[in-house]
Parts: sequence; structure tokens; C-alpha cells
Amino acid sequence: MLLRDANICSYAGVVNGHATGLAALDPRILEAVRPTTLSNEQLLDVPEALSPLFPWGGLQRGWQVGVSGPGAWTLTAGMMVPSLGDEGWMAVVGAPLFNLVAGAEVGLRMDRVLVVDTPPAGQWGTVVAALLEAVQVVVICPSSSIGNRDARRIAARLREQRGTLLHLDGGATWPSGLDMKLTCQTQEWEGIGQGNGYLRYRRMKVEAAGRRSAAQPRSVSLWMPGPDGPLTAAQELATVTELRYGAWGGESP
Amino acid sequence: MTDMPFVAMPEPDDAVVASPKAEHPWRLNGPRRESENGPRRAEAAHPSVLSTRMAVVLCPDWPVVAWGVPLNEPAAVFVANRVVSCSPGARIDGVRVGQRRRDAQSRCPDLAVLEQDTDREARLFEPVAAALTNMTPRVEVAGPGLVGFPTRGPSRFFGGDEALAQKVQETLTPVLADRGELFVGMADGVFAARMAAQTASKIFGDGQLAGAIGQPVIVPSGESAGFLAGFGVDVLELPDLVDVLVRLGLRTLGQFAEISANDVVGRFGAEGLMAHRLARGVDQYPPDLRRPATDMAVTWLFDPPTERIDPCAFAAKALADELHRSLEEKGLACIRVAIEAETEAGEEFSRLWRHEGTLSAAALAERARWQLDGWLHQARMGHAGAGRDPDAGVGSAIARLTLIPDEVVPATGRQLGFWGGRAERADDVSRTVARLQGILGADSVRVPEWSGGRGPAEQIRLIPAAAVDLGEPRMGADPANVNQPWPGKIPPPAPAEVGSLVGSVVVLDEVGEEVTVSGRGVMLNDPVWLVVGKTEHQIMSWAGPWPADERWWDPSSHRRRARMQVVLEDATAHLLTVEQQEWTIEATY
Repeated sequence: MLLRDANICSYAGVVNGHATGLAALDPRILEAVRPTTLSNEQLLDVPEALSPLFPWGGLQRGWQVGVSGPGAWTLTAGMMVPSLGDEGWMAVVGAPLFNLVAGAEVGLRMDRVLVVDTPPAGQWGTVVAALLEAVQVVVICPSSSIGNRDARRIAARLREQRGTLLHLDGGATWPSGLDMKLTCQTQEWEGIGQGNGYLRYRRMKVEAAGRRSAAQPRSVSLWMPGPDGPLTAAQELATVTELRYGAWGGESP
Repeated sequence: MTDMPFVAMPEPDDAVVASPKAEHPWRLNGPRRESENGPRRAEAAHPSVLSTRMAVVLCPDWPVVAWGVPLNEPAAVFVANRVVSCSPGARIDGVRVGQRRRDAQSRCPDLAVLEQDTDREARLFEPVAAALTNMTPRVEVAGPGLVGFPTRGPSRFFGGDEALAQKVQETLTPVLADRGELFVGMADGVFAARMAAQTASKIFGDGQLAGAIGQPVIVPSGESAGFLAGFGVDVLELPDLVDVLVRLGLRTLGQFAEISANDVVGRFGAEGLMAHRLARGVDQYPPDLRRPATDMAVTWLFDPPTERIDPCAFAAKALADELHRSLEEKGLACIRVAIEAETEAGEEFSRLWRHEGTLSAAALAERARWQLDGWLHQARMGHAGAGRDPDAGVGSAIARLTLIPDEVVPATGRQLGFWGGRAERADDVSRTVARLQGILGADSVRVPEWSGGRGPAEQIRLIPAAAVDLGEPRMGADPANVNQPWPGKIPPPAPAEVGSLVGSVVVLDEVGEEVTVSGRGVMLNDPVWLVVGKTEHQIMSWAGPWPADERWWDPSSHRRRARMQVVLEDATAHLLTVEQQEWTIEATY
């Protein structure tokens, strides 16, 4: 929309003889017609509830993200679903324990998933780099550390293909730093009692830390799953201090 | 490819060619055809110009036969919990193709449940195809259980269609060796011949003893259209098209065939036209297309020659991709492919494979793999038994593999998504999968399929990616296909991780007694502590138990267990299972 407006404007400008150049145009339009896009503009959609975790509200292409803590796999699947869309593929490498049913519950399409056996120690680079050529999202959970050579190869392919690599061990086996690390922490389960009910809703907190643009620590509270869907934002649990001193407008609870 | 035969283009005025009154001689006898060696040219006016007279041999229920199950015993082969093939013994009890597994088992409790194994089916079908090559060189395998050949030469040699059918049955009966049934159909065109063979099997009826041979059904020359007219449109096996046809009131092939081809192509496009040609008793593609140039053949030399199937399968995949790419560049698609192999001793083997639709790269590779598997298997059998026929199988290691497109047609194409989209991406993924299989082994890359079950680990099953076509929608990947109730199933959400690295754990109650679940599925005491190794965790809340008494009818696989959800003091939740009074952490949420 903006782009079309810009074309009309610049065309009109030439026709009318006002060769004032692009500088005279609305900055909004300038933004839209600039020939280069910076990496922070190449964002992948994430569920709305997770967007406060990311510096520009979405996951950057070519990033490596570590995810750890209970429910990390479910969160990862849910986080990547919007960016995969209808046709995107996800590969899960060397993670025999992950339950794909949990992924399906948060919207992952089972006909767009490849499950790859754990490669031998020296083959991680070859396997992940090959996968990144065709698959948008690769999830790995290595049990032993990845060598420097493999890591460099994977990083280079990731930059080139603009894919996303997720480390479900939180990056513990990766020789260098990750762009971002997410840590899941379950706060409470609802629906379960003493011998009655069942695990129904989970309230959890996800903390993000990273480097460069993502250096500032951020966190969100989530329902995963919650009463309104598999992955929705939750209100922060009030701390005891807040309750005591009236975080909600001075009224004592 | 600029000199592509124009006559091959499937377009509306093909209808003109089909009607005998308005023939276009320039189309049938154009200069292109003059150059061809010509028995066909002599017959230009004959209806067989529009379709080759074919004999089809149908071995019904081949997936079951391949498992070696006697046909009068109830057995069925399942894919994604649906019957894809069943033995006559099972059919008597009311088991039908497409039925759900539960329904099938409720009708026939002693039904043997088999999984589909297409490799095995193809391998065991190879001797049948090989036996036919003694009678005619142009044997075309359409798939395991279905093989055809043009009858013109053989029929004349053996003294007519009836004699030929007799001869085919005599030749193949010892090959099948009472394991399966065999039906022969002859008609103008592959489709009509196949329907004739199916009619033969229907006339023969179910419930007869296995190993018997039915009467062949022979449709006289030029009467294919009349023969097909009575069939319902569902035999076209195009569910989307058939659905519309039925709603338009066109229930039989005869009614469909009466519509003019122009109208059909206007409404249903290329796919509709193909179906219309079949309904009219005409081959899907005009039969005598120019033989494709031999330079389109692709060859792989094995160095050193191999007797193992893995390198062959890998080569077949690479060759299929290469062939497909070169065909694609020329705007062609292959409907019949010759697979040739040469052994290090210099023996040559060749077999034609036909596909009703056009062969995709994956389908091509699969057929090559089947064929090689069949040859290699026979070679091993041949080595085992003395006095073997030199033509019966590959005698030594395979040194060369060649794929030759034997019949090509202009690609009407599968529509790609707007920005490359679906097909292209699936191709990329398939290529990557093939590469990884080369690095890590054939079964290292798998895809999930839904399967019913109570426990979190049972609800999804991983099958090798090589066994499916990644570009096509898969039935098993859609959870809607698994909709049976599973009493005792844990309600969602599903746990994030299944299985654990710790062994068995101990669950204690308040006073330190072990928690037990009674035979009636009741907790006898409340769990308070979970002991993993030497660490104690307090159980803050718990739910359950969900007892599961599985396969109680089969002592060898009978399992009784109960599941319990617990939330520990750090708010992590786990699914515990007790079996034989031993607790384990089955999954973590």
C-alpha cells in the first residue's frame, strides 16, 4: 500500500517538475521505498504473547535462539508456528525425547516436520547445514558439544539461508554465544488438586537475555496452555510486596 | 524441444479424432508418422489407433498375498488404521477396503493385522513379471499386483486372444504356486483392460478357494467404450472429479462419455479431459507417440559393482531426479519408464513400468528401487537353488543402472504455488532428505504420522521419510484420521518430553509407605514424596490414576499399568506410570 503511494508520489513529482528529490517526501514513504532492508526489519512473526520478548517484536531471520526449562519444546513449536505458515518445514535433529503431540497441540503441522536421528559427533555441521538449505526452522538438542568447525559451518549457512536455528539445550553444547536465550519457568498449574482434576492450564514465565540488540533482559508471563488458547499472554503474578503495598491503586486486597 | 509432436497435446478437439466419422487424416498420418517404422501406420483407420490393445493380469489383494498369508484365512493390510487390502477370507466376514481397524476387527475378531510393505510386494511380484517376459518383450508393470502388455504380437503368435489368455494363465499359475489368485482381462486401452480384469475377479466372486484361476474377460476389439459404459464414474479414482460428476447426475462412464470433449475440457481442464478419454475407452494419451530420443536416458555406473540394495536405491534416486529435471526442462512428463540394469558379467535386464498419472521423481525412484530389489532378491534365491534359469534374475553384482523414458507426454503440470510455493519447497526438502539418508542411513530421517493410543508416546509414530512422498498430502499426518476414543487416555495438554533418563523412581505416602494402585485402579494411599535416585521431591498436587489395561486378549503383549500426574514443589509437572508396582517417570510437561 505504502509502496504504491510512494510510486505515485514520485511519479507525480517528476511530472509536475518539482524535482525536489526523495528527501521532500513523507518519511513514512521513504521508509517503505528504501532499497535496502536492515536485518532488524527482516522479522519473523511470533505469537502475540511472545512478541514483548524480542527487541523488535519479532524473531530475526538468521538468529540462533537457545530455549531451556520445562516446556521448552512446546514453547519452541508454538513460537515458530506463525513463521512457518502453511508451507514451511521444521526439522528436529537429535532430540528423541520431544513429544510431537505437544507440538501439534500448539499448531505445528505434522506433515511439515522431519525428525532426524542424532548425527555422529563430527557430522553435526554437515547435517544441519544440509537441512538449512531446504528447511526454515531447525531444532537441535545435541547431547555432546559441537566442534568449532561444525559450528562455523552451521553459522555461515544460517546467515546465508536466513533460517532459524533453535538450541533446545539452551546452547550448552554450542561453542560460542547465541543471539538470544529463552528460559522457561513454570509458575503454577491449574486444574489439578489432591487426587482430583487434571493438569489443565499452565502459567509460566519466560525470560529472555541475549547479546547486541537483545541484550536488555525481558520477560513475559504466559498461559501455555490457557483457557483462551494454547499460547496466550497472562497477567503478571503480583508479588507479596505489591499485594501488601497496593500495586492496584492502593486498595488492600 | 521444439519438434514436440503436436498431436500429443491433450486439447479439446481430440474429440474429433475420437469420433470415427470426422477423422483428421493429417493428424493421424502426418509426415512425422511416415518416418516411423510402421505396422501401426497400416492400421490408421482402425479404432486401435486411439488405444493399444492390451492384456492386463491382475493379482487381487496382492498386499496380503505378499505377506504369504493363505487367502482363505482372514487377514488385512492397514495404512493409517484403514484397510487397504484384505484377503477373501476376511471379506466373507464383512471386512472392506477403507474400513477402520476397529470396525474390521469387530467384524472379524481373528483378523491378522498386517502393515503395508510396498518393497516386499514389489519384490515378490517381480517373478510374475519375469515369467511374462518369456511370452512378450514389452511387459509393463503398473504396480505390485498389476501388470500388462500389448497383445497384438503375442495374440497373433498364440492363435487369438482366448488362446493367449489361456497361455498367460498356464504360465503364471506355477509362478504364483497357489499363493494368490490371477485374473486376465483384455481390451482396447489399458484402462478398459484393467476394468476387464477386475470384472473377471468380480465374476469369479469372493469366497472361493485360494489358488484358483477365474475365466478371463475379453472385450472384443472396438467395443471398449460399450464395455466401460456400464461402470460407475467412481472407477476413475479421481475423488474430486467424481464427486462433481455425481452431483451433475453423471453416474456412469457411459453418461460421462456422451458429453462433448470441448465441454469437459472447458469445465474440468486437463484432468477432466484425461478422465473423459478413459470413459470413452480411449487411452489416456494417444498411444503411438514418437519414441523419445535416447539421449534422455540417464545412466549410473557402479564402481565397484554392488549386490546391496542401499547403493542401488541411492543411485536410483539420483537418476530419477536427474531424469525428471531434464524432462522438466523440455516440458515433458514420463508415463512409462524402462529400467535397465547390467551386471558385471554382462547380462542385461530391462523392465517397463507404467504409471497412469505422470511419474514424479519420487515415484520414479521408488519404482527403480522396487525393480532392483526384485532382481537382487531373485539373484540371491537363484544362487541358493541350483539349475537356475539365466533369465530369472541378476546373476552377479549390478554394474550399470539406466532409466529410459519410454513414453513421454507434454507435461500439463501440477500448478506450482504462486511464489514457487508448495511443490518446489517439497522438492527441496525431498532432495535434502535423500542427501541425509546418504550420510546417516536410510531410516535416519523420519516423518510423524498419527496413530491411536493412550500414552503420550503411542499417539504419534515415526515412519521413514523414504516411504512417503513429501510433496503430496499425507493421510496419516492428519489427526482427523485417528478419531477413535481411547478410554484411559490422558487429557491434553500433552507433555513436552516423553521418556526420561532416570530409571525407576519411588513414590511414598506421608508415613513413608510405598504408594500402590489397586487392581481396580484406585490409589490406596496419597502420594506425598517422589524419590529420584537419592533426591526427595515433595508432591504438591496430583491427579489420577488413569488405569490402562491393554491387549488383555493377548497374553504375550498384555500390559496393565496406571498413570498419575504430579506437580512437584518447583511447579514442574510429570506423568508417572506404575507397572508391576514399579514407578517410572513416563513424561515431563
